[in-house]
Amino acid sequence: MTLAEIAEASALPARTVRFYIARGLLNGPVKGGRVASYTAEHVERLERIKHLQATGLTLLEIGRILGESPGEESEAVPATSWLQYAIADDVIVWVRAGASPWRTRQLRAAVQEFAHRVGPGKNPEGKESEIT
Amino acid sequence: MSGIESSFAPVAAPTGNPIRLAMQRLWLTGRVLPAGGRLVVQHVFRSDEDRPLEVIYSFPLPRDAALRGFRITGDGFEAHSELRQTEEAVKTYEQGIADGSLSALARQYGDGLVNLTVGNVRPKETVTVYLEILAGVELRDDGFRFRFPFTLAPAYHSKMRAAAVDNEGEMELPADEFGDLILPRFRRDASSLHEVGFELSLLHPLLDPSSVDEIGSPSHAIKVKQDGMGPARVALAPAKDLPNRDLILDVRFKGKEVRVLAGPNGNSKRSFAAIVPSTRFGRNGGSPRRIVILLDRSGSMQGEPIAQARKAIEACLAALTAEDTFGLMVFDDSVEAMHPALVPATREQRECARAFLKHAEARGGTKLAVGVHQAAQALGGEGDILILTDGQVFGTESILADARATGIRLSCLGIGSASQDRFLTLLARETGGVSRFVSPRERVDLSAVELFASMGRPVASGLKASRNVQPDPPHAVFAGAPVLLYGEMDSDSGDRIEIAWDGGRMDLDVPSGDAETGEVVRLLRGSRLITDWESRYPSAEAVAPLEKRQQSRVAARLLELSKTYGLASREMSLVAVVKRNSDRPGELPETRVVPVGMPKDTSFSAYLGAPLQMSSPQMRFSRVGSLLSKMGRAKPREAESAMPAQFTAMFSGSECFAGAAIDLGSSDTGLLSLATMLEPDGGMPGDSPGVRAGRTIAAVLAFVAQGQTLTVGVFRLHVARLVGFLKSLNIADGMERRLIERAIDSASTGKILPGQWPVLAREPGTQWKQIEEALS
Repeated sequence: MTLAEIAEASALPARTVRFYIARGLLNGPVKGGRVASYTAEHVERLERIKHLQATGLTLLEIGRILGESPGEESEAVPATSWLQYAIADDVIVWVRAGASPWRTRQLRAAVQEFAHRVGPGKNPEGKESEIT
Repeated sequence: MSGIESSFAPVAAPTGNPIRLAMQRLWLTGRVLPAGGRLVVQHVFRSDEDRPLEVIYSFPLPRDAALRGFRITGDGFEAHSELRQTEEAVKTYEQGIADGSLSALARQYGDGLVNLTVGNVRPKETVTVYLEILAGVELRDDGFRFRFPFTLAPAYHSKMRAAAVDNEGEMELPADEFGDLILPRFRRDASSLHEVGFELSLLHPLLDPSSVDEIGSPSHAIKVKQDGMGPARVALAPAKDLPNRDLILDVRFKGKEVRVLAGPNGNSKRSFAAIVPSTRFGRNGGSPRRIVILLDRSGSMQGEPIAQARKAIEACLAALTAEDTFGLMVFDDSVEAMHPALVPATREQRECARAFLKHAEARGGTKLAVGVHQAAQALGGEGDILILTDGQVFGTESILADARATGIRLSCLGIGSASQDRFLTLLARETGGVSRFVSPRERVDLSAVELFASMGRPVASGLKASRNVQPDPPHAVFAGAPVLLYGEMDSDSGDRIEIAWDGGRMDLDVPSGDAETGEVVRLLRGSRLITDWESRYPSAEAVAPLEKRQQSRVAARLLELSKTYGLASREMSLVAVVKRNSDRPGELPETRVVPVGMPKDTSFSAYLGAPLQMSSPQMRFSRVGSLLSKMGRAKPREAESAMPAQFTAMFSGSECFAGAAIDLGSSDTGLLSLATMLEPDGGMPGDSPGVRAGRTIAAVLAFVAQGQTLTVGVFRLHVARLVGFLKSLNIADGMERRLIERAIDSASTGKILPGQWPVLAREPGTQWKQIEEALS
């Protein structure tokens, strides 16, 4: 498969494919004489990158998930990172890590407010209704 | 540690050693006229690696700008770009790359972002691209401001993804809106990046150089040279500079004259650009105003910009009379209003506003459209919105569409050292308002007061122009903002333009001009028209397949404009392929994205957070523990330690809680603080009528001493209110009457009376007696 063909097969511009190769997300083409070609594995890898992008990951994170080099991808389900807050004995809040700074601050404020409402010594409405 | 991280900085993959910069120099040259500039940007690319490179440089277009063409040169070759429909240009470029030929593509995306891509730069080869750009200027009655971006500001988009490593950060925008646009990496420290500089000729040979009062730059050290009657030459004073802020050049004329640039344009017609100062239309009326002030408190406004904006808003509110009504809102991810409806500008409401502003800390994203929508709702279809923002948002076309739909006039005060000038210009123009853009190092507060003074009360409405004027003239004219009219006329159909408005008219003479001016004016007109139409082209629509776009009215118009004027747009791009004997087909060039400097005065953490580091788990726990101790009840769970190594590494690297300390340090208190003291009736505060009158006279004389009168200066509205208060005092004769008349005369004529007026105006005990003594 030529670069133009793999670009068409993956619905990605050829320039983007080259960009991914340069970033180490994708192996370079297989050389056969003076002809460079791409294989089904390349297409599969591109699909995987697109899928991971759709989940909200950055290329940097995708690079980490795919392994230090394209050939070292783990078979395991890709990990995502979460921040865990135990705000009471019976309440844990999970917040996905890696958000933008302003989102992080916003979430922190929300968790803090929540912690004040449901923490020890509080009698929030939700808890009461559960008891009854 | 990881391959991804190492590719994030410019290093050679096999060795890990730093590579030389793929782009080494960016130099701006060209000519800037009172209506806009015809610029040539020199980009010097070089590969110091042992394989060919594909270099991508991203930049934002200035206001009202379009790409005209480029010339690409190197050892033994020179080629010129062709303007082709974007799909065809991309195909040509890719074929050139596949053939091993040197290829270059300049392609425009949404928000006026451009990728200049140069592929197959051979090892040790230097390639230079000279890119011609037409760009508009920010007009003022007594001159203009030229602004050119040497970097690209990061900006907010609800679907963007951002990451940071060490001292660099990157952003990715959704492909369904921005296609294959590649943004640069943002480097915290720009000192190791390519050098930038400029040498421009300013003004026009036909303009009398003696009419120029001042040429200056608040952004760069410049040197100005002028020989005889030729244009002034302005250059960077040091040998080179860093790509971390816009170039800003200010030109001020001695008078507020009508200026008409014209010349034959090669089509048996004459192109013209007429600049008519607002002072030629009359003065604004005194009808009550309905204004909502909308303050951007997104994270990127932290520090001096928001502190200055708060002060500016207080001064703006002091310029309102008791008959005026106002609203005050702040926005980031959401909108907070001081009150859901407009309130009268009473002392109590201004105090409420002051208290409300104190809590407006910079945080969050920039959901400008939501803010505009709520402000428009509060106005109920009638009034003006003043936005104070850095304008750092992506996806601006949809914001513009929402803003147009409100039918409310928006005026914008942009604050920033890197340009979102294009967007804010469009936002104001497309809604009938006025925009100004200042750098944080300038007096943001004074610019806000000046802009506020002109809002809500146009000096002329219902503007119409004869001849073939296009784009249409603005419906209303505001004090301080001249009208720019582009058009063309048949060479044999006379030499006058007629302008009419409600209650007035004027004729303008159009000179014959010269062919060079005619061509520049024609191109500036084309780039303005393309910019206007681009702003009506939603990004998602613009990246749709060609078959779908062919049904778009905007796409068809852009295509037509591009062909007519020979200028690029999102529908047409510039491409060149240089075939050389030693081209090696099939060789894959290594892609390099040229980094840019984080704009000066913009906090790196506001967009990109702290760097992602492969730190130790211990470090992770200490950070999390530190946070949780601040939170009081929330305790960290040790469970994370059981997580896989990969998880741990990512977890530890996440930016959590970068502090956003707001510097509320004092700014200049001079006239601005005096302006904030005005009572709703226009007088100064005091516990007796005598004190109020005495302090008000002193305040009038303090303003006049600084060049502020009833008609001149950014504080003219405040002066008018102070004078109005003095006139309302029921004092028929005697010493008090004489003192009042002297103050009013001073405010009318600008005659400065010596005295310690600022001190007396602030002194709670100032009465008639102290004023009389000071004047005797």
